[in-house]
Amino acid sequence: MTEPGAMTQRLRETCRRLLEEGKVQVVIGWGGAGRLASPTQAESPAPLSFPTQAEPPAPLSGAAGGAGRLACPTQAEPHAPLSGTPAPRPVFITRAEDAEKLEWNDRCFANLTVYLTRKEVKALGKAAVVVKGCDERSLVVLEKESQIERGSLHAIGMVCEGVGTPREAKCAGCEVRVPRFADETIGEAEGAAASATAVASRLDGLMAKSPAERWAFWTAEFARCVKCYACRQVCPLCYCERCIADKNRPVAIETSASARGNFAWHITRAFHLAARCIGCGECSRACPAGIPLGLLNQSLAQATEEDFGYRPGMDPKAEPVFGNWSPADKEDFIR
Amino acid sequence: MTAQFEPKIVAYVCNWCTYLGADLAGTNRLEYPPNVRILRLPCTGRIDFNLIVKAFEMGADAVLVSGCHPGDCHYTAGNYHARRRWMLFRRLLDTLGIETERVHFAWISAAEGKKWQQVIGEITEKTRQMGPYAAYQELSEAAK
Amino acid sequence: MSAIIPVAELGELVAGWIGAGKLVAAPVAVGDRLLYQQLASADQAVFDARRRPANSIKEFLFPRHEPLFRYRIEGRGIELSEVAPEEREQIVIGAKPCDAAALPILDLVFNWDFEDGFYTARRARTTVISLACAAEDEACFCTSVGLGPEDEAGSDAMLFDLGDGRFAVRAVTEKGKALFGERQAEPPAPRPGPEPKFDAARVGRYLASHFESPLWKELTLACLGCGACAYTCPTCHCFDMVDEGNAAGGVRVKNWDSCQFPLFTLHASGHNPRSVQPQRQRQRLFHKFVTYPQKFNAVLCTGCGNCERNCPAGLGVLAVLKAIDGEAMNQDAKEPVQA
Repeated sequence: MTEPGAMTQRLRETCRRLLEEGKVQVVIGWGGAGRLASPTQAESPAPLSFPTQAEPPAPLSGAAGGAGRLACPTQAEPHAPLSGTPAPRPVFITRAEDAEKLEWNDRCFANLTVYLTRKEVKALGKAAVVVKGCDERSLVVLEKESQIERGSLHAIGMVCEGVGTPREAKCAGCEVRVPRFADETIGEAEGAAASATAVASRLDGLMAKSPAERWAFWTAEFARCVKCYACRQVCPLCYCERCIADKNRPVAIETSASARGNFAWHITRAFHLAARCIGCGECSRACPAGIPLGLLNQSLAQATEEDFGYRPGMDPKAEPVFGNWSPADKEDFIR
Repeated sequence: MTAQFEPKIVAYVCNWCTYLGADLAGTNRLEYPPNVRILRLPCTGRIDFNLIVKAFEMGADAVLVSGCHPGDCHYTAGNYHARRRWMLFRRLLDTLGIETERVHFAWISAAEGKKWQQVIGEITEKTRQMGPYAAYQELSEAAK
Repeated sequence: MSAIIPVAELGELVAGWIGAGKLVAAPVAVGDRLLYQQLASADQAVFDARRRPANSIKEFLFPRHEPLFRYRIEGRGIELSEVAPEEREQIVIGAKPCDAAALPILDLVFNWDFEDGFYTARRARTTVISLACAAEDEACFCTSVGLGPEDEAGSDAMLFDLGDGRFAVRAVTEKGKALFGERQAEPPAPRPGPEPKFDAARVGRYLASHFESPLWKELTLACLGCGACAYTCPTCHCFDMVDEGNAAGGVRVKNWDSCQFPLFTLHASGHNPRSVQPQRQRQRLFHKFVTYPQKFNAVLCTGCGNCERNCPAGLGVLAVLKAIDGEAMNQDAKEPVQA
C-alpha cells in the first residue's frame, strides 16, 4: 500500500503534467489545511426529552449530588476538538505551480464530484477531478443522467484505505478502495483489500425499533434541522437548477424549519435520491446539526438492492431503477 | 353518547380506471362510506409521493392510491412507474416511523364498482379501528 | 454568598430556574458536538470552557421559524389574529463570549429604522450568562475583530472555569445581579486568546477599493451555496417572510434566510443581480466588514469561527479574509501605502 506522502507527490506531479500539457484547465482536488464540517463520530444520544446521559462524564470534582451532575470536564483531561475537523479543503488548481497545494490523506472527506455540475466551475473549462472509489460512483450516475460528459472529464482515482479517525461507517466493507473507472489511478492496488467484517449498522439498530420509536427518533433529530440545505448543496446528485423546495408558484415543499416543514423536506430529499444515492455520506457530514441523514438514504439503498438488485454507481451499464419498469416488480402490497 | 370517530380518507385515483370504477359504484347504487374524499388525476404515474404526505399534513387519517391494472394503463406504462415508486416509498415511510398501515394501494378498473365499494369499506373500517392519525396531525397543529 | 460556585450549585440554580417556569438554554451534547438547546432538565447542560457549540444563541432571540400572525379568509374579508406572545423569562447560560457579543451588534439593526418588536421583546426578557473561554482553535479569531475570550459585551454575567469543577462568577449588568446577587469574583488572570489572524485595517482598506477583483472568483469556487455559515453565525440575521396556508387561511411566518442561497436575490421579474456564487460571497464579506460598519459602526462578526467549522467546504469568512489580507500585503509591498 503506497504511503499517503508518496501518493501526494504523485498527485501533485500528475496535476502539474495535466495543466502544463494543457490537457485540462482546472484540477479539482483536496488541499491546504483548514477546518471542515466533520462527520459525527458518535451516536446521537436519545431525543431531547431524555434528560440523563447513560454514562456520566469522566470524574468531576464536586459535581455529584444536588440537582444531579452537570457535565464539566476538568482542564486536566484531553478535550474534544471545538468542532469541525482539521482536514484538507476543496481546491481548484488552474496553474501548474499551484499543484503544491494538493494533499492526499485520510481526512480527504469531501466528495469533489459535486463541483462538476456547478456553473462557476464548468466555466473554468475542461476539468480533472480527484476521486476516492466512493466518490467515483457519483460519476457513473451523473453520466447516466446526462449531467457530465465522461469523455471530456479526467478522473484521477486515489486508492483509499478509508477516511476519518476512527474510520467512517461507510468505509467498513468498502468494495471500491481501488477506483474502477479513473483515467489514471494513484496508489498500489494490492494490500487494499476490502474489509470483510460486516458492521452491525446503525440502520439495523434503527429498524429494530418499533415504528413509534422511529417516529420519536426522527422527530427529535429533525427538531434540530434549520433548513440550511447543506445536505442538498453538498450532494453531487442534487444538481437541479431550481430545487422543488425553492419553488413558490405554487409552494410544493414548505420552507419553514418547523416540525412539519422539516419532515416534508427530508422525505423529499431522501426520495428524490432513491435508487440514485451512492452512499458517500456527505449529507450527514455537512449537516451542522449532526442529523444522521444518511440513514434515510441507506434504507432506500437497501430496499433498492433487495427489490431490484441495483446498486447505483456500481455498473455503468445497469439500467436505473426509475424511468424503467418490469412486469416482475412486486405488488404484494397492492390490492 | 359520544360521536363515533369518522376517519378522513383521501383517495388519489386515476381518471381512466378507478375514477370511473367509483362512478360505476355510484350509478349502481352501491353504498360505500362517505368518509372518502376522491381526488382525480390523469394517471397513477403522475401521483407524486408528496401528495400522500400532503394528505396527512392536511388531516387525513388514511390515504388510498388507486389506478388501472398493470397492462391497462391509458398512458401505457404510467402505472408501472407508479408501482416501482410505491415499492421504495413504503420503505422510506417505514424507516421514518410513518404508519404504513394507513397508506393503501389498489388496482381498480372502470368495471370494478364492486371492488371500489369493498376497498373503501375495508379501509374506512380499519382506519376507524386505528383511530385518528395523531402523530401527523400534531405536526400540523404545531405549525398552525 | 461566595462568588465561587461549584458546578453542583450551578446545577441547582439552573434546576431552580427551570422549576420556576423560566426558559433556560445551555450547550447540550448531541453526539460528539455541542449545540445550544433549550433544557428539559438541568443535567443536560454541558459547561465546557474549551469547546464551543456548533450553533449560536441567536435562535433564542431570533427564532429560525417565527409565526407573526394568523389569518382567516372569509369571502372577501380577512380576519387577522395575534399569535400569543411568549411571556416567560429566558436565561441562556454557558454562552461563549463570541455569542454574547453578537447581541449588542444585532440590537443595532433590529432597532434601526424600524423596531423589530419580536426581537426586542425576547431580548428584554433574556439574561445571558457567558462562560469565558479556556481554549481556542485555529478557526477562532475574536481578537481580530476587537473581541476576546473574556469580553463582556452582551453578557449579563460571566462565569470563569477555575479548572476544578468550580466557577467564578461576575455580574456585569443589573440583570446579571438579579440572578447572582452581589457576587463579584476576581477573574482569573486574563488569557490572551487567539493570536490575530489578519490585519483588520489592511483588509478594510483592500475591501474598500476592490469591489471588482478576480480574487472573488478564485477564492469562492469551493462555496456550495448552502446556509450552514449564515445559520450558525451569531450575527447573521437575514430573514424571509412567507404565508403558509390555503384558501381558507393560514399563518404568516418569518424564517431565516441566507445570502448564499442561489435564489436569495431573485426578483419577481426573473432577474437575479447575484446570480453566481462569487457575487454572493463578496456580498457576505462586504455586508459584514464594510456595509454594516459604515452604517452602525460595528463589524457584523464576532470571530467565533462557526462558519469555518460548519462549512462542508471549509470556506469560512476567516479563510477568505486571510486570503484577502495576503493579497493586500502583496499589493502594499508593490505600492506601499502612504502613511
